[in-house]
Amino acid sequence: MKNKYLFGGFIIVLFLGFMVYLFTQSNIKYESNFDKVMKEEKIVRATGSWVREKNYVLDTQNRVFSFYMADENGHEMKVVYNGSMPNNFESAKSVVVTGEYKDGFFHASSILTKCPSKYEGQSTQDVKTSNL
Amino acid sequence: MIGSLILTLALASSIVAMVMYYMSYRGYNNALYYGRIAYHVMAMLVIVAAAMLEYLLLTHQYSFKYVYEYSSNELSTGILMASFWGGQEGSFMLWLFLTTIIGLILQSYTSKRGDLEHRVMAVFTLATSFILLMVSPLFKNPFVYLWSEPIFIGIKSINPSLAHLPFLQSFLFSDSSSNQEFVKVNSDLVRLLSTNGISIKQLVINGRGLNPQLTNFWMQIHPPILFTGFSMSTVPFCFAMAAMMKNDYKDWVKQSFPWLLAASGILGLGIMLGGYWAYEMLGWGGYWAWDPVENSSLIPWLVGVAGIHTLLVQKKSQNKGEGIGKFAKTNLILMLLMYILVVYSTFLTRSGVLGDASVHSFVDPGTIVYLFLIIFVGTFVVLGFGTLIYRWKYLSLHTKSDEGILSRELSLFTAAIVLCTSAAIILVGTSAPIFGHSVDAKFYSSMHIPIAIIIGLLNGLSLLLKWRTTKKEDLIKRSVFSISASVIVTVLIVLFGGMTDVLMMILTLTTTFALIVNLEIAIKIIKGNKKMLGAYVAHIGIAVFLLGVISSSVYSREKDIDLVKNVPQDAFGYKMVFTGYQSIDNNTKYAFNIKCTNGKKDFVVSPVMYISDYNNGLMREPAIFNMLTKDFYISPLGYDDGSQNQTQGQEISLGVGDKTNFDGAVITYKNFIAPKDMSVMMSGGDFQLGAELSIEKNGKTYNEQALMKKDGRDIQFIPIEIKDANLKIQLQKIDPSTQKANLIFAKITGDNSSASTPKEVLTIQASTKPFINLVWTGTLIMVFGFFISVSRRLKESFL
Repeated sequence: MKNKYLFGGFIIVLFLGFMVYLFTQSNIKYESNFDKVMKEEKIVRATGSWVREKNYVLDTQNRVFSFYMADENGHEMKVVYNGSMPNNFESAKSVVVTGEYKDGFFHASSILTKCPSKYEGQSTQDVKTSNL
Repeated sequence: MIGSLILTLALASSIVAMVMYYMSYRGYNNALYYGRIAYHVMAMLVIVAAAMLEYLLLTHQYSFKYVYEYSSNELSTGILMASFWGGQEGSFMLWLFLTTIIGLILQSYTSKRGDLEHRVMAVFTLATSFILLMVSPLFKNPFVYLWSEPIFIGIKSINPSLAHLPFLQSFLFSDSSSNQEFVKVNSDLVRLLSTNGISIKQLVINGRGLNPQLTNFWMQIHPPILFTGFSMSTVPFCFAMAAMMKNDYKDWVKQSFPWLLAASGILGLGIMLGGYWAYEMLGWGGYWAWDPVENSSLIPWLVGVAGIHTLLVQKKSQNKGEGIGKFAKTNLILMLLMYILVVYSTFLTRSGVLGDASVHSFVDPGTIVYLFLIIFVGTFVVLGFGTLIYRWKYLSLHTKSDEGILSRELSLFTAAIVLCTSAAIILVGTSAPIFGHSVDAKFYSSMHIPIAIIIGLLNGLSLLLKWRTTKKEDLIKRSVFSISASVIVTVLIVLFGGMTDVLMMILTLTTTFALIVNLEIAIKIIKGNKKMLGAYVAHIGIAVFLLGVISSSVYSREKDIDLVKNVPQDAFGYKMVFTGYQSIDNNTKYAFNIKCTNGKKDFVVSPVMYISDYNNGLMREPAIFNMLTKDFYISPLGYDDGSQNQTQGQEISLGVGDKTNFDGAVITYKNFIAPKDMSVMMSGGDFQLGAELSIEKNGKTYNEQALMKKDGRDIQFIPIEIKDANLKIQLQKIDPSTQKANLIFAKITGDNSSASTPKEVLTIQASTKPFINLVWTGTLIMVFGFFISVSRRLKESFL
């Protein structure tokens, strides 16, 4: 009778352990405080808004797009993204960037722009990628 | 109004049916008759309501909010019909409609099998009552009028002959950022209109339309199939409850078996069609992105499939006279969980909790709906597991469990546990956003490699093992062929395919092992009773599917390529030439033609891009060239017609007073050079404007003007070249209202490309997907296997 619990228990414990490990390794926290973003040594998802006054730089040759982002408290950080400017970037009310803060700026691997308009409800734009 | 009334009446009938069926269960025998009548009345009302919603959509009745928000005059009939389930309210209606139909079949099914009906239907009508409550006027009613809440309607949807009405002007709004005009429709406007003898139908003559990602063939079949699967998974829950209510665990196993198989088969088909849709139309570059919405349909499927395996054991063990059979508790738990997870996945995708995490979750529906969904899930959890706890002692006393190490029972149980583990992992990952976290796709993929390895192993091993116990010598004798054959095949794949990842090699080994074992058995019995084939066919399907996953992911190659018009480029053995684009679909979309050749075959692929009116977003559709052994997959990334970007370099956007650095120079935007006469510019005459810049480099300061000149029809940007500073500056864009200027900076030397003529560049992501066809054929074979089993188990359910 114990075989059932032995096998089932073994698999569950094994995978749950593996899962907890991977989860703590690869989970991405949403962070709206840039002080914390800068201290964090893992990949985070920083939410804030584009600092319009500081403009953006689009280097078409090297496909680098960079801009400044501010959090709720007005803390700013520079964001650098390897790719082209996302659609709707200029009209975006809020920006969600996923990446890591290193060497004085935020290395974004993806940018999500949200364009809430009081007339059309909220719409989001994202570049979706699949790994399979 | 009539629609809401019908749905309210249906809700009342559903509650009456539930009460009557429950009374009948408690011994009031004549209540059964009223229960049946009430259920059929409810079913009729639901069918009428669904037909009404479809009619409103087909006849463009924009006075209804749902019709306005999810359809438009431009949609083709097929898509228009599918816009029924384009939004939240409608997809609840679809779920309700399909559940109701399933209920009709279930009522007839249970009425022919003993005293099953009242218990099963009492629980089933609880489920229909909840969905009916969801679409009732309290929550997500699809029959709400347009003006029920103030709504801004784009001027494009307004009848132009009425737009000049004087009283309408105070309802006009304009959005300065997008330059669009809107009419605010609320009850005041409707009242004003009706006093002037105008109906809202005359004012609003077009709808907002359907999200362009949904306007395609797959929208017409994927949601109905998926929701049929969801609806059918209600049934095993009801059977489990019915068994616990009577405290009799014998018959429910064979009675619910065909339902569980059919539900899993259809749900699996629906999930796969969704994956194919994503692959073919949405250009994600693959068929599975571990998106929360995809995940939340996969979780109940995995639990259902786990249940199939343990339910089979209980059935076998009952046939051998072992009382209520083995794994009685496991089966009850799994059957309860399957439906609870369907409801939970509805909660995840509809309550707005996923917010930022998913691209295609619905928008926030408000706190009341959120709470209602929690109550919906909570009720079924409490009811299901409460009853189970109540019966636990009895069940523990009457369940036999003495599985030998080498028994089929134990290996099937282990398989079920592995499937549930997979479900649990996906559940944790998908639910993480509720707690402010989110996981990477890597989390799911690295967890699932070992799971797939075990599944492959058990898939083969469990069939080599006998029920109860197997002698070691027997097992060795029976597995010699399959093990040696799979080792040989794997070695060949590794050697010829150049596989390097050890885990992938093990996965290939266990998968081919499963495939060979199943093929061996299938060939043996194909001459005999073909009805017995179901399980083997399904297992062959899953093995083929896994092989497809391995080959299409491990051997997939991917590359971003800039295709300059008429300049050939090489990638993955193909020579590609971008030959130009043409407009398609009544000039709404653009197809970009790429001529490909690999020496033997010539073909043209045409990915599509367009700006959608719906959301002003850039839409991209991939192009796929299908071959037997692989797909050549091209996702468009962007297109540059070359007219603006003559200068290669760095683009920087500046406001007056801003400073920037480029190549050691400090550039200051000192002043905006305004046109001398604003009115000339407004009237379309010639003018010039620009930015006055000061450039400091190597201790020298240069004052320059970057200008834009309009001369007749031409607009010219005049570049600045400062040879001493090795710097070239050109205005790209300047906005007179904000005075913001976009400037392109480049070095004069070392930048030859800037001198050339305008270039049209199409940027694409090209990839190869070897043997991706195995993914599709594998799933189809698996689904086919499910249905062979359904027909066999349906016959047994009468016994």
